[in-house]
Amino acid sequence: MREADIIVVGGGPAGVSAAVEAAKSGLSVVLCEQRPALGGAIHRQPAEGAAPVAALPSLARRWQSLSAKLSASRVEVRTRRAFVGIDSTGAVLIDDRAAGKVEVRRPRALILACGAVERVRPRPGWHLPGVAAAGGLQVMLKEGRVPEGRVLLAGSGPLLLALAAQMTAAGNPPVAVVEEGDPVSRPLAATRLLTHPFILPDMAVLMMPVLLRRFLWRRGTRLTEITQSADMLSARLRAPDGREERFEVDRIGLHDGLRANDFGLTADPPSGLVILRAGDLREVLGAHAAEADGAEAGREAAARLEGRPSCGSRSAMRRHRALQHRLSRIFAPAQGATVLRDCPDETVICRCEGRTIGHLKEQLAGPDAVSARELRLNGRFGMGACQGRFCSEWALSLMSELRRSAGVPASPPDFAETGVCRWPLRPVALSSLANAGIYDDTRTERHIEGISA
Amino acid sequence: MREQHSSPPVIVIGAGIVGTATAAFLAMAGTPVRLLDASAPASGATGAADGAVSVASKRPGPMMTMARAGAALYRELAGQGLFQGLFHKRPTFLVAASDAEADVLSDHSKALGEVGAPVRWLTRDGAADRLPSLTRKVVAVLEVEDEGHAIGYSIVSRLISAARLKVERYCPVASLEYEGRSGRVSGVRVGGAVIEASAVVVAAGGGAGRLIGLPDVSRPRRGQQLVTERAPGLNAALPGSLLSCSYLLSKKHEGEKADARGYGVVIDPLETGQFLIGSTREEGRTIPENDIEAVAHLAASAQEMVPALGQLRILRCFAGIRTATCDGLPMIGRMPGTENLFVAAGFEGDGICLGPLTGRIMADLVRGEEPEMDVSPFDPGRFATGSIAA
Ligand SMILES: Cc1cc2nc3c(=O)[nH]c(=O)nc-3n(C[C@H](O)[C@H](O)[C@H](O)COP(=O)(O)OP(=O)(O)OC[C@H]3O[C@@H](n4cnc5c(N)ncnc54)[C@H](O)[C@@H]3O)c2cc1C
Ligand SMILES: Cc1cc2nc3c(=O)[nH]c(=O)nc-3n(C[C@H](O)[C@H](O)[C@H](O)COP(=O)(O)OP(=O)(O)OC[C@H]3O[C@@H](n4cnc5c(N)ncnc54)[C@H](O)[C@@H]3O)c2cc1C
Repeated sequence: MREADIIVVGGGPAGVSAAVEAAKSGLSVVLCEQRPALGGAIHRQPAEGAAPVAALPSLARRWQSLSAKLSASRVEVRTRRAFVGIDSTGAVLIDDRAAGKVEVRRPRALILACGAVERVRPRPGWHLPGVAAAGGLQVMLKEGRVPEGRVLLAGSGPLLLALAAQMTAAGNPPVAVVEEGDPVSRPLAATRLLTHPFILPDMAVLMMPVLLRRFLWRRGTRLTEITQSADMLSARLRAPDGREERFEVDRIGLHDGLRANDFGLTADPPSGLVILRAGDLREVLGAHAAEADGAEAGREAAARLEGRPSCGSRSAMRRHRALQHRLSRIFAPAQGATVLRDCPDETVICRCEGRTIGHLKEQLAGPDAVSARELRLNGRFGMGACQGRFCSEWALSLMSELRRSAGVPASPPDFAETGVCRWPLRPVALSSLANAGIYDDTRTERHIEGISA
Repeated sequence: MREQHSSPPVIVIGAGIVGTATAAFLAMAGTPVRLLDASAPASGATGAADGAVSVASKRPGPMMTMARAGAALYRELAGQGLFQGLFHKRPTFLVAASDAEADVLSDHSKALGEVGAPVRWLTRDGAADRLPSLTRKVVAVLEVEDEGHAIGYSIVSRLISAARLKVERYCPVASLEYEGRSGRVSGVRVGGAVIEASAVVVAAGGGAGRLIGLPDVSRPRRGQQLVTERAPGLNAALPGSLLSCSYLLSKKHEGEKADARGYGVVIDPLETGQFLIGSTREEGRTIPENDIEAVAHLAASAQEMVPALGQLRILRCFAGIRTATCDGLPMIGRMPGTENLFVAAGFEGDGICLGPLTGRIMADLVRGEEPEMDVSPFDPGRFATGSIAA
């Protein structure tokens, strides 16, 4: 058997629909997903024996229909396979953790649909144990473990309400949702959402617990500091009128929006391999958009391999983009944009290595105008286990804030300038690299059980 | 358009470890200096090196002698404050895995003894005791003391701040400007402008040959490396770096084939608790990128040498380009026929060890002072007179 024509990475709505569409052309398609089951961020499958967490109404049936199409297709599904990069020769590297080896594959096309990652802005105390990304709590919930104790959710965006609604349904509503935006104060913008009728049932589900006052919803409010006292976390909040309030809780979930999960990928990959991006990895526009975008990417990949003119203009994305713009306007921070520079110097930026705002300021203090790469190397920002996946954005924006305040006009430097674009994209066991081998197809099998109907 | 200066500064081209050290020692001696780099400090080989300050790995001859002095300077500057916290003393263990390698090692130990490097053979039990994580499948282990480790980009950053240099980044020098027939350089050309200089030091690594009119004198030789996650326990159990004798062999046979690829494994326990695993020697490769074949090869060799490394995760791979001259020795000194033009380049895999010493020597040469060491074996004139063909 020969190597697959197309490898799709990511088993969320974008990846699955890309694989299904691409396979319609008759080309051979392999779908790799790092987790034990497909589903992606929204349709994450519950752990064995756990009750499924209700998806939003507009999404509930979509996944079933997509899964059915996948089962009927000739796509080869491989779960527990993490894509870890493209080497300088164009080889696609897939970490097969169960087998303890890196597969070296050479497809003709690669579709990347690795979704989005959560942004969590550094704030004093955000690195303390018990503080997590809200999405992390959602994953727990979807895998059947309800976050226990008094939980506070803070940050900005609809995900906070979605998680709060899911926690409420699971029996432990959060103590409060602290939202930096003030959606209610922008009725006009909110009315514009009516032009996207398909999300209205979703909004009803999200708002129901709020209306029933199952938890407090502090709007226009910023969580300014987290401290630890005895075995509790204490969150300090600042309301729009400047009044302060404290909450004592067991856990805090933070969320400051989503960002494409393309960290470490180079903009100019080696030639000879067709590379397409799809779904949230290309542009964070939500699940409906991801499914449509994935289908277009699948068709485009097939067309390009078959030498046909590619049909896709990805024009369907315009509506989804308009919706996202409206949502982000509605959730815009009521107290203005945050300034990292104003946080105390002890505020951690890099959690892997405990590097702080003060450490960063030290690097920029001299007369010499250091580059982003020098800041990374000498300040050790983005040198830890995550390789900057979570902190690079903040290190770079603080760098440009400081530059601007010193009178040097500067837009945030590009990630590429820091030198982080290289493989492995994720840490890989040395023994798996030592065992790296050309993909061995004697072990090929269809992992249909990965898809739960 | 010419920029005017009342008394033009010395211009140093290249902010790798060699150029930065040269500029820093000049500035600290009171000589006005400008340090220019096509990109940013430590963006070349210096920022992608291992950082062994090692005599053990050198070829016998002038390189081994100079490495002894280079390592001594690191010790001196670490004690005196300039490199405090950046230079870490530790031995190197040369590991022979076969009888053939043991023979090479035996010759090598004699050469090391001759330059006064403290060496001692470990018995089988001694090796098991001192290096518990090392595979038992070794034939001989030689311990070399007085060695150490320093990270190239950290040294560069320290030199810049200590000498309060303002590096001129993204300033590629297109050519040198000569002063009629006087046999002097008058400055350097950057874009449309000429920057005047009282003297020029070319420390531009792989870019040096072209600037001094000897484009064929050096060749690029790529090295790929891996970095593990932190593993404090395993790290603490390794008191120094492990150098496979295949490394000595790969250095010995280097340059024989145009596209040869050599593997000589080095396992370096870093201060952070991580391990650095290097490195390949790939002839003619100019792009610092990694391929799975090389990385898998390095990973497998490292695991063979220290089996427990297998369970650690690799956080990143990177690559750097060494600049190797055709006779294997660097160029250090004044260009013949041009009174105020100096060159310091071609350090292949030894520039971290030799960089600070070279910088101090260059600063002396530029200032017209007697350098602390005889650098005549490295005289760039050997290429200019055509006595050695590239
Ligand atoms: C934490 C979080 C919570 C969200 N909650 C909601 C919500 O409540 N409501 C809502 O409408 N939208 C939510 N979204 C947004 C929504 O999930 C996305 O818009 C939609 O799922 C995008 O689909 P996708 O296929 O592009 O990516 P995803 O659905 O994210 O799928 C990406 C898939 O790729 C896999 N993957 C990633 N990297 C690799 C790799 N290197 N190798 C192999 N596989 C890999 C992932 O495991 C995942 O299965 C959330 C997003 C996130 C990140
Ligand atoms: C994988 C690897 C491992 C190594 N391990 C070790 C080790 O363990 N121990 C050791 O001692 N050495 C080691 N080395 C070797 C060491 O890194 C080099 O010898 C040393 O860094 C060379 O320094 P340099 O200043 O001469 O050159 P570089 O660091 O390459 O600096 C040259 C600079 O000149 C600039 N430049 C070039 N052309 C121009 C131009 N026209 N105008 C302006 N600027 C220009 C470049 O941008 C660059 O910044 C290793 C090297 C590699 C690649």
